[in-house]
Amino acid sequence: MNKSSIAIVAVLALIGGFLLSLYGYSNRPIELENGLWFGEQARALPEFELIDHRRQKLTRAQLQGQWSLMFFGYTHCPDICPVSLQTLSDMVKAIDDSDVTSALQVYFVSVDPERDSPEILADYVSYFNPDFAGATAELEKLTPLTRSLGIAHALRNKTEGNPVYDVDHSAAIVLINPQAEYAGLFGAPQDAQAMARDMTLIIERNPL
Amino acid sequence: MPRLLLILTLLLPTSAFAELEFSDAWIKNLPPTIPVRAGYMTMHNPGPGTLNVVEVRSEAFASVEIHRSFMQDGMMRMEPVERLEIEAAASVKLEPGGLHLMMMMPHEPTSPGDEIVIFVKLDDGSEQSLKMTVVE
Repeated sequence: MNKSSIAIVAVLALIGGFLLSLYGYSNRPIELENGLWFGEQARALPEFELIDHRRQKLTRAQLQGQWSLMFFGYTHCPDICPVSLQTLSDMVKAIDDSDVTSALQVYFVSVDPERDSPEILADYVSYFNPDFAGATAELEKLTPLTRSLGIAHALRNKTEGNPVYDVDHSAAIVLINPQAEYAGLFGAPQDAQAMARDMTLIIERNPL
Repeated sequence: MPRLLLILTLLLPTSAFAELEFSDAWIKNLPPTIPVRAGYMTMHNPGPGTLNVVEVRSEAFASVEIHRSFMQDGMMRMEPVERLEIEAAASVKLEPGGLHLMMMMPHEPTSPGDEIVIFVKLDDGSEQSLKMTVVE
């Protein structure tokens, strides 16, 4: 390779790098205080059908026209799930704009449908906030939703007839926009006050 | 009679053994349908030697285990901790998202404000008791 072709390659690499950085910049989620906001890169959810805590269907269509925060866990979870639901409860209390809270629905989705009936979920979520919703479904019906949200979950040491087992699960809280698109993510551990400020900012800038 | 025994146990002098100091001992309350609770506290070892907690029990729960929550492959997992080591002049914090007491099957429904006695056993065979407060 002669000197001039090296120079051309170097210039092309520089231009390429510059273009990549521009592309990367416009695609980079805006950084929230406590989470990630996907902006234009929000992804449509697939169709799904869960059963909510009132034994009603919960489908993608029902997420349209509201902001939703979803946390995935199980009621036999002693540590992470109560902490996360308490954080969500504290977050709602910390939002002082009623237009924001009325546009926001919190869901606890159980990835342990065998033990978590709608009745148990109703009891559980209302302990943290009477407006929180619970939902679950058989694993085959849950997986399209959890997979599309990057939520991993797995039963651990589950054997036939043994009621004592753990469920490993992602501890992220996902944000779904009023178009039923996956719009953002709050990684664990979440901070209630910071999440309240983030949700206020998001919803006030994107009113229903 | 069981209550009398409990009081006697609480009054037993244990100063012959090395002792832990407990603070901020609380249990996160959950509705009665949920059969698990998590307990948290700070254990401080003021002495000159390492202390090892090998068992925790409570008459208010069918079983109590020390567990640790940790992140692996993007998921939160829990594992039992058979032996909790607290070095000389050091503290170990049981706190949300990390080490905690996994308290299973309360014999009675718990309510905020309840005080629950638990026993902490060291590997030298000594046992200490403390009260944990149930928090909403």
